[in-house]
Parts: sequence; C-alpha cells; structure tokens
Amino acid sequence: MNSSERETKAEREPLRFFSRPALRSPVLVVAWSEDAGRLGPKVNDYLRRKLGGHTFCEIEPLEFFPMGGVAIENDLAKFPASWFYASPEHDLVLFESSPPSSDWYRFLSLVMDVARDHCHVREVHTVGGMVTISAHTTPRQLVAAFSSTEVKRNLSSYDLVTTFDYETAASQRPTLSSYLLWVAKRRGIPAASLWVPVPFYLAGGEDLKAERRVLQFIDQRLELGIDFRELDQDIKRQNEELAEARAGSAHIEECIAKLESNQGLSEEESLRLVEGIDDFIKRKREQAS
Amino acid sequence: MGIRYLKEPKLENPEVVACWPGIGNIGTLAVDTLRAQIGAEAFAEIEPWDLFYPRKLAIRAGVVTRMEFPSSRFHARSVAGRDVMIFLGEEQPAEADRMYAHGRKAEEMGNLVLDVAQRFGCRRIYTSGAAVSLIHHEARPRVWVVATSEGLLKNLRRQENTVLMSEIEGIGGSGSITGLNGLLLGLARRRGMEAACLMGEIPDYLSGVPFPYARASKSVLEVLSRVLGAEMDYGTLNAMIAQVDGFVETIYENLPSPMKERIEQRKLERPSKQEPITEDDAKWIKEHVDELFRKGDKGGERAA
Repeated sequence: MNSSERETKAEREPLRFFSRPALRSPVLVVAWSEDAGRLGPKVNDYLRRKLGGHTFCEIEPLEFFPMGGVAIENDLAKFPASWFYASPEHDLVLFESSPPSSDWYRFLSLVMDVARDHCHVREVHTVGGMVTISAHTTPRQLVAAFSSTEVKRNLSSYDLVTTFDYETAASQRPTLSSYLLWVAKRRGIPAASLWVPVPFYLAGGEDLKAERRVLQFIDQRLELGIDFRELDQDIKRQNEELAEARAGSAHIEECIAKLESNQGLSEEESLRLVEGIDDFIKRKREQAS
Repeated sequence: MGIRYLKEPKLENPEVVACWPGIGNIGTLAVDTLRAQIGAEAFAEIEPWDLFYPRKLAIRAGVVTRMEFPSSRFHARSVAGRDVMIFLGEEQPAEADRMYAHGRKAEEMGNLVLDVAQRFGCRRIYTSGAAVSLIHHEARPRVWVVATSEGLLKNLRRQENTVLMSEIEGIGGSGSITGLNGLLLGLARRRGMEAACLMGEIPDYLSGVPFPYARASKSVLEVLSRVLGAEMDYGTLNAMIAQVDGFVETIYENLPSPMKERIEQRKLERPSKQEPITEDDAKWIKEHVDELFRKGDKGGERAA
C-alpha cells in the first residue's frame, strides 16, 4: 500500500491522527481501562510519566461504544476513550482504551492497522491482571501467551511462565487481550499477552507489585532504564498499609494467613476480607487528605 | 465478512429452513432435529468475526492455537425428491449481554442467509421461534403461523395443530417477532420471496427457564416435516420431552400455592378468561429456578 492509498484508507476509518511520530520499529503495549488492580492503565501511566511522549492518534468512539448516555464513577462522568501514545526517543507506542462493546473485530483490526501500517511495530504486548485466590505476599509471576512459537522462543529468557495449556471455560468468553493476540496472529504480527495474578482483595484497587513485575519485563525487553524508585516507595507503603490492616483486624489476619498457607476461604470470608481491605484503604486515603 | 463454501451443493429451488436461538430454543431444537433426521450435510458457513465475539480460546504450551466463534452454517439434502436447505445459527449477532440481534448486524446476517438461498433459486423460507402463551404445561403446544403471503398462510393453517395469531383470543392478529427469526420474514418479503415463521407455544411461566422446551419443538417439527414431506423418528425428541417434563414438574411442585392454583385453572377455563402470570410471579420464578435445580442436583436429578 503506498502512502496516498494509506491516507485514503485512514480517511474512511474512525482514526484521528494528531501527529505522525518518527518511530523506527517500536513495541506496542496495550492496556484496557477496566482491569484487575488497574494493572494495564497503571503500567502505561508509569511508562508515560517516566519516559515521556505524546498522544498521536485516537479511535473515535461512535462505532464501538453505546452513545446512550454517560457512565458515572466516583461522582465523575466517564467517556469511552481509545488513545495511542508514542515515545519516539524510546521507540515505544502505548495504547489504552475502554473495552469496546460492539464490533470488536473491527476495533482490534484498527489497533493492528495503526500498529503495523502507521508505526511499523515489531512486537505487541498486551497487559492484564488475572484475579486469583492468593495472598498479596505471594511473589508475582508473569504468565505469557504467544501468537507463535517464534515469539515464545524470542522471549524465553525473561523469566516468564510460558508452558501451559488453557481453554476458555463453558460459562466464560475469551478476554479482549486474548482476542487481540489472535487478531495479531492472523495478521502475522508477533504478539504476547502478559498476565499477572492479582490477589482478589486488591482487584478493585491497585496491585503495585504486579505493576512492577510487568514494568520490569518491559524494561528488560526494551532496555529502557526505567527509574523504579518511585514505584518501589509506593510498594513499600502498600505493604506497610496491608500489614497494618492485618494487625488491626483479626478477621483480615486470619483470612490472609489462610491464603498464605494455601487454604481456601468461604464466600462470606472472602466478601468480608474485600470489604475490610477496601474500608481500611479508604480510611487511610481520607486521613492522608 | 462473507460466505465460505466448504463444497458446492447441487440444489434446485430448495425450500429453506433457517433458525437462530430464542426463547426455550424451540426453533433451533426443531430445526437441528430435522437436520439430523434427514442427514443434511454442511456446505457453507458465514465468516463470523465481524458479527460475533469469540466463544472459546485454546492455548497449547503457551501458544494460541485456536479461537472459536459461534457457527452460522448452511446444510443441504434432498428429501422426497425436493431439495431442502437448512441454516442454523448458534447465536444471534447481538450486542454484549443481549440475546437478540438488531440493527445493522441483524440485517447483514439476514441478507447473507437470503443471498445463499437466492443463489440456489429458493422462493420459500421458513423460520421458527417461540409463542409465549397462556397455556398449561401439560397441554400440547400449538404452532402459531405468520407468513408474508395469504397463500402460504392458508397452506400452513391447513396443517394439523396450527393456529393463526388472529385466532388467539386477546391478540387480534397483531404482535411482533423479536430477533432474526422474525426479521428474516421482512427481509425475504422485500426481495419478493415467500416466508413464514412457525412458533411453538411455551407457557408464559416457563419462558425464562434455562432448558429447551422440547414439547413445543416437537409440535414445530411435526408441521415442518409435513410441509417438507420428510419422515421423522421422534424417539430422541420424546426422550428429551420426558426429561424436560421432569424439570418442569420440579419447578411446578415448588411454585407458591396461589400461583400454582392460578396456573391450574388454565386446565379448566376458556382462554379468554385466563390471565398471564404477574410480574411478581415471573420474578419469583426467575429468582428460584436455579435454586430449585441445585436442590434437584442433591436428589440425583440434573438440569440439561
């Protein structure tokens, strides 16, 4: 496709370019705004803050999101957004979006169009949190699924959990990240879907250890030299807060101790643990402000 | 998006039967039983990715090997000297969390089915769905008939156990058919093709239960098989009816007494005196069906 054909194609598509960043052969990191422990958005946010860059493209929402009103979250009106950011200096592209509610294949194909035709992306990484029944003290593993055995081989030296079989359960559907991985495979774009287990009682808030695990991989893979000091301080603070929550509540202590010794929790125990941690974190934030 | 042909069938002016899931899966169970009984073989499918969200991902040793989408498949077979084409959609191309297709995707799917039907010279299409009715679950479900032409309507009304909407007290011949099993009639009519929808009756209090209502499927299949001249063995369907009757009895036995008494009256009173279940009744059933089946599990019974 020559450049004029590409321009014509782009004009027909719901893509809005603000600039054309000069990229060589970047890696694209994809995050969805609704994610366990807000993992994907937090990873992208940290990369943006530490590496710089700018927004260069938007997928317009009309075709992919219901335009029947506006969602309110914590008193704030939300609107679906699908943005591409570029850090030409580090040859990195970030994409962050609300999960589309229709025309998923077309939406994901547009993401791949921007990646391949406009940015000449060499590899795509999706980032996602995986809710698990585990304690926050458990080391975070990075689980990866690949578009091909070649991508798997290329990433085999990065301490990833890569050898597993999986099939979507009958009552579930594949995740959007898995769907993107498949679309990338169809188009011959090397891709990996990265997942970090997030303890269920941190899924509604943030899991900073999981965030660091993903960032550490991206840092190594792209040799970015990310400054982790700020994140490490935040992890220390979160660990201290969770230790305080345990010390202040027999129920929280008992539940987390059970999880640490690989014992299950009842539905009621799980709910009370989530409520207990949420209340504690909320009180801490109120005190801090 | 398009049609992928697995092989090129030799078809001459086939009768087409097309169906997508709906309430009680009445139509899809009837049409799938017809497909199996006549031995119709798949010859084409609609490419799914622009219409559906995938249903299953398979990963082997960390590498994506397969993504499965809901199937939308065409089958064909000659029956008693006449060609029959059967289209079965595993899902309607609906928006997230909805059962029925509407809007652009519904129209695209319907037109793709009609494109294939017209390519082989089809002039008549049948769809099937559910007619939520004020009947008792022990009654034999009738088949409501709606068509795009007077001639086809009369022809179908002559079949045993069929009824027109205008003959149903309190309806007056007007209503709507939600989703693709209805929309296809409109799209066919626009192309000058004859089409009809056969709707098996399901009691209003069972319209939300999570298993196929096989009694109504049998009624639909009886009509379809006569129209197409196909001989049917109802053994498998009868076994399913016996199983479903067991589930229905479990639900019925556990209904609150006032609701049960109102439903029991349906055996005795004329249809004009009957009233639909109330919103509260429907809510109660919805909330308790899962619970009833969990109890059934403990006693050795299992839901389908």
